[in-house]
Amino acid sequence: MVGPSGAGKSTLLGLVNGAVTPTAGSVQVLGTDPAPLRGRALRRLRARVGTVHQHLELVGQLRVVHNVNAGRLGSWPAGRAAWSLVRPQGLPEVLAALTRVDLADRVFERTDRLSGGQRQRVAVARLLVQRPDLVLADEPASALDPALADRVLGLLAELAAEQGGALVASLHDPALALRHCTRVVGLVAGRVVLDAPTSALTAGDLATFYGAPR
Amino acid sequence: MTAVRDAPPATPPRLHRVRARWAWGLGAVAVVVWSLAGAGLFTGDVVNPAGRAQFGRFAGSALSPALDPAFLQVLASSALITVAYAVLGAALAVLLGALGAVLVARTTWGRRRLGWTLARGALAVPRGLHEAVWGLLLVNVLGLDPWVGVLAIGLPYGAVTAKVFADLLDEVPRGSHDALLAAGSGRVAAVLYGLLPPASGGLLSYACYRLECAVRSAVVLGLIGAGGLGYQLSLSFSSLRWEQVWSCVYALAALCALADVGGRAVRRRLAAPRTPGDRLARDRGLTAAVLTTLALVAWSWWYLAISPATLFAERTREQLAYVLGAAWPPDTDGVLLSSIAALAVDTVQMSVIAIAVATVGAVALAGLAAHPAGHAGPGRRLTGTAVRVALLLLRAVPPPVWALVVLFVLLPGVLPGAVALGVYTWGVLGRLAAEATEELDPRPRAALAALGAGPAAGWLYGVLPRATGPVLAFALYRWEVAIRDSVLVGLLGAGGLGALLAAGWARSTGPR
Repeated sequence: MVGPSGAGKSTLLGLVNGAVTPTAGSVQVLGTDPAPLRGRALRRLRARVGTVHQHLELVGQLRVVHNVNAGRLGSWPAGRAAWSLVRPQGLPEVLAALTRVDLADRVFERTDRLSGGQRQRVAVARLLVQRPDLVLADEPASALDPALADRVLGLLAELAAEQGGALVASLHDPALALRHCTRVVGLVAGRVVLDAPTSALTAGDLATFYGAPR
Repeated sequence: MTAVRDAPPATPPRLHRVRARWAWGLGAVAVVVWSLAGAGLFTGDVVNPAGRAQFGRFAGSALSPALDPAFLQVLASSALITVAYAVLGAALAVLLGALGAVLVARTTWGRRRLGWTLARGALAVPRGLHEAVWGLLLVNVLGLDPWVGVLAIGLPYGAVTAKVFADLLDEVPRGSHDALLAAGSGRVAAVLYGLLPPASGGLLSYACYRLECAVRSAVVLGLIGAGGLGYQLSLSFSSLRWEQVWSCVYALAALCALADVGGRAVRRRLAAPRTPGDRLARDRGLTAAVLTTLALVAWSWWYLAISPATLFAERTREQLAYVLGAAWPPDTDGVLLSSIAALAVDTVQMSVIAIAVATVGAVALAGLAAHPAGHAGPGRRLTGTAVRVALLLLRAVPPPVWALVVLFVLLPGVLPGAVALGVYTWGVLGRLAAEATEELDPRPRAALAALGAGPAAGWLYGVLPRATGPVLAFALYRWEVAIRDSVLVGLLGAGGLGALLAAGWARSTGPR
């Protein structure tokens, strides 16, 4: 998804993961309308949708391992979640996920001691242990240098492909969109103004779309 | 060597526990156990089987408070006296607090640490004395005059308010203030434009909280004779008229709730004022709130018939000189000192049990008592309201009155005092903890909910780690207050209301 700020990209992602309730119409997420769902059924659907939020929404006071394990709270019973805060559970999976984002050596660090880019990678690692069918990413590359941005987007796409699902990302950089996505949707003021496979687009098309040379 | 970027490290890093934190935790548990042992929980009889029937009668009257017109009239005029004391006391406190905050804020002193430390130290003296003790001291100086009640609330509250106001101002992010200074504005202007607006919500919220506290303090002062609801409560209690006691408790709770709801409404308006963006206009609600406050202060002044002349009378000056002269040197008699030391241990144990009870209870209820961030079902909202009302009732009854209630079921000693203080502090701390929870950024928890975490797991991972710091800080602050209040429980339990105890149980000597 591309579009100027205020176009409705984050709102659209929020509609999909249930953070925003539609005021009109309905949403189909993985074949189900979440609106009538309650309790356990809703949680089961939400556990299948993973989100990298724009402001990350990590808990700074927790160690990295707990923030990554939070990806499994949809499937863990409350007792196990509580015990894990005392004695971290499922450490091998956490370490494997952190290794994929190059952060294995910081697993027991407090999250608020990490830099912005490192926190972004913690958020990605949380998704790696959640193993969702649908991956949503709101500006996942905003705090990363170009090489890391490529790597993170690659990982997210890989993750979605492993589960047979899709990656939906909002991006500010047309080059990234062209490299990592198969389809580009342009939003302006809440309306779809562009919907094309990447192969039919050039960087020039998107540059005019953003209205500024990049 | 090949690229090993994706291989897991040979030895995974080790989990280092924060030793200091565990040591503090275990130490706290040890102190609580020591206090419980000192209160005789593990050794002696603590339950008073004889009092159960009396407690039953007391509890049974909860649903049938006295509502006859004559008593209601008495109740109304007592409530007005309490309100007048509370309003004037709180107004004086906020005035003194605002002036004092300028004197003790970091912003004023800058790098001059010595002056700052001395100013802070000077504030600790009026803060250290309980309102009731201030009341007794001031009666000696001013005689029976309404000023006693107003000053007994206003002076210690003013000192606390000054400290808190100063802290609030110092904690505001200083970026915009420093930018103004760098752009050449004066110090006062920089504070007005860069510090006061971001701090105003906190300042106002604290002022409202002080008003609610002032209502409770006015009641306690009533217990020692200043009149109002507290006096009425003690009269009804000592004549064993439980229906009247409950009427007083409900009136008190209503007053506290009124202060609470009013403060909340003003804060909400201040955060999002209803003003048009295209022209200069004041928010009507806020204007009305300011005018109401001024009117209330003026009315209280008139209703209590306060005259400034008393403060400057010749007799006042003489009495003040006498009391100050007696304050130094303190009595250093050996027997007295050793009995004071023993009682000090009792006081500490009482306050430790109280704060332990209160903290556990407050943490357990904080989640339910907090207003939910998003939309909530009717069941959740109903539970929330019920919990908030319960907490309000707990803190509406002053600790000495709780002590009398607890004495129905427990034998006199440290324990009933501790339970009374704990129950009261639970009400206060529960509200503070709920507010701390509400003020957290809701997004991390929402993110957990979005990935399917249940309510318990969301609370454990999204709220608990972030709320621990503020709630612990509140608990430590309330512990300080509890130590002061435990002195009061002893003061009143053994003295003013002792007649009831003597009539009720031969073994009673009142909680120490």
